[in-house]
Amino acid sequence: MLLILEVIGLVILGGYEFLQVDWRGIDLRTPQHQAVEVAVFALFIPPAVLTLLSALSFLFLQRRGWLLAAIAQGLSLAVCLWLYSWFQPGYVYPIMAYCTLMILYLNSQDVRMVFRPGKSPQASHEN
Amino acid sequence: MKTESPGVEATTALLQRFEPVIRSTTGDKFYPMDVEPYVRACSLWVQRPGEEAVCVVPGGELSLERLAQQPMDEAGAVHFLKFTDTEDLRIESRGGRLRVFRRRAKNRKESRRAFRAGRGRLARVGYFSRFVDALYSIALLARGRVPGESAAAASVAYERIMSEQERYRYHGRVLRQDGWIVLQYWLFYPFNDWRSGFFGANDHEADWEKIFIYLSESEGEISPEWVAYAAHTYTGDNLRRRWDDPEVEKVGEHPVIYVGAGSHASYYAPGEYLTELTLPLPAPLARVTGAIRTFWKTRLGQYVGDGEEDGGSGYFSIPFVDYARGDGLSVGEEGDRSWDEPRLIADPTPDWVSGYRGLWGLYARDPFEGEDAPAGPMYNRDKSISRAWYDPVGWAGLDKVAPPAETLEAILEQRADIISGCDALRDEIDHKSRQLKKLGAELAAMRDRSHLDAPYQEGTRRVAELSGELNRLRGKLATDEAVSESLAEYAGRLRAGERDQARAHISRAHRPASEDELRVSRVAEAWAAISVSLMLISFVGIAMFEREHLISMLVFSIAFFAFVEAGFRGRLVNLVSSANIGLAVVATLIIIYEFFWQLVVAAVLVIGLYVLWDNLSELRR
Repeated sequence: MLLILEVIGLVILGGYEFLQVDWRGIDLRTPQHQAVEVAVFALFIPPAVLTLLSALSFLFLQRRGWLLAAIAQGLSLAVCLWLYSWFQPGYVYPIMAYCTLMILYLNSQDVRMVFRPGKSPQASHEN
Repeated sequence: MKTESPGVEATTALLQRFEPVIRSTTGDKFYPMDVEPYVRACSLWVQRPGEEAVCVVPGGELSLERLAQQPMDEAGAVHFLKFTDTEDLRIESRGGRLRVFRRRAKNRKESRRAFRAGRGRLARVGYFSRFVDALYSIALLARGRVPGESAAAASVAYERIMSEQERYRYHGRVLRQDGWIVLQYWLFYPFNDWRSGFFGANDHEADWEKIFIYLSESEGEISPEWVAYAAHTYTGDNLRRRWDDPEVEKVGEHPVIYVGAGSHASYYAPGEYLTELTLPLPAPLARVTGAIRTFWKTRLGQYVGDGEEDGGSGYFSIPFVDYARGDGLSVGEEGDRSWDEPRLIADPTPDWVSGYRGLWGLYARDPFEGEDAPAGPMYNRDKSISRAWYDPVGWAGLDKVAPPAETLEAILEQRADIISGCDALRDEIDHKSRQLKKLGAELAAMRDRSHLDAPYQEGTRRVAELSGELNRLRGKLATDEAVSESLAEYAGRLRAGERDQARAHISRAHRPASEDELRVSRVAEAWAAISVSLMLISFVGIAMFEREHLISMLVFSIAFFAFVEAGFRGRLVNLVSSANIGLAVVATLIIIYEFFWQLVVAAVLVIGLYVLWDNLSELRR
């Protein structure tokens, strides 16, 4: 649920940023700073797809869901940090905060124990 | 501690009844032998501080009797034997050098034919360990070490002794301690070629290994209860197995020992054992790391990994593999060779054991001592008496375990002690409880009497103290009563013939590598062999040719190496988890840096709203 919420948030944030720019008035030789910032938002598409896949894996209680979700959060955060070091766009901060909380949640004892290798997630849920 | 030994014949018979079966690994060249022919082949030397080593007794003139007759020497002097005289090997003539070279090449070829290492040790551990391992190998060049020719020379000398008379012998000692009869089997190997023959940590002349069997005696009947096999410098509970533990393989009444190739460490099961020499963090750093781990785990509820709850074993470790495959020569019951009659170490202790405190082989002057020969069964290298000698029961952690015939008695005695302690506690509680009530009455009488303020304060303090003490005593009484009940239950279980779990005392057992761990591609082995060098070379390349993007290229290359490494070692989850935590920490710091005041305001607002909500819900109740 949290992962799906993240994807929805990313889509809304991306859509909002996209609409803020007047794309017709862009000069491709010297693009506006804001337009570049919004264009690089496309970097979040692969982690968003991964997040969606991991959410589906979680729904089916597959162990690889945890790994996919963790990779997706790591990628998102890496993209945020890279963007922060170059452009410091405003949208990276909420994504950073959300991803940090998600990482802490995914690494919490309870979640890790459920998806620990050698232990069936279904069995844990039955307990 | 009470130690005494039975008669010589009974001792020999007892030792032979339970003598172990040793199973070595193909490629191993040295087997347990008698000390007498070894000592005869040795020369005796003394190394005084700041001086060259001096030969005290030349080769061929030494005997067990003469070995013990060494005069006391100045402080810091080390007596040692030399089994392989490297001077003889350093033949000046071209023909002589050629012969030595050919012999070494032949030995290596034979070893290679007989022994294949399988999955490389480096493929089983991480980057840090490989890097530290490289430093360790480089350090060997500077440290004192056994010369390269020694293993070949020892092999030749050993073959010469065996060709005169092929004998496989152990040195046996029987003693009684704390109700146990301890059978000590001391195995002497002329050379430890773990490093030169099997990619291990060290080589040294002479190797003393030991196997102890603990017997109990009831109504004249003797029965084996525990065994303990020595492996490297390990001691305590983890060494010990109960006789009926399925891990203890037996041929009749003879326990089977799988001997590590070259190292001669003893194991219960055949296989390849990863042994790591762990270098601990400096104490202050370890404390800080421990505190962070505790906060991370308990306060934040975060996962810290399996078996790492106690703070982890160490952060830098050098990996070595002990190959105890058991596919080589076996000695003992139903083995390829039989044991000769044991050489007894009976009372009074023979002089060669008690009188010679020196090393049983070459003193290489290695500061880590790994390449120095060991001292005899009775002593440590520093000439102090070894615990395995004077306290064999405590050495294997058995000092807290009573022999079966005494267990019930020990339980009942302990219960009686606790019950009498409980009676005394009850009396004390009664007395203090009455005292507290009297003090309470006194306080009540003094209340609201301004002229009695000072004694009232003092009385209040005494009441608080006494109340606390009573609380502690009542807690202790409740615990002791519960312990007494559990002792009664335990005694009942024992009377009904029930036994404890055989492996309850083992916290970390040595296990051989599993089939899955050993199944690895050649690519992974090649990667393990080249990765550290490749990473260092790539760092240099980046520093030379990509200075403009130094940081990002370094991060990228580290990420690449870490990802490939984690893939090979099946630790992708750990890598992703660690990387995520690192990124989350950086992101948190950035957010705090960018929005510090906003976060402070938000925190105050949240607290304010929480207090408001809490108060309003109280009003509604």
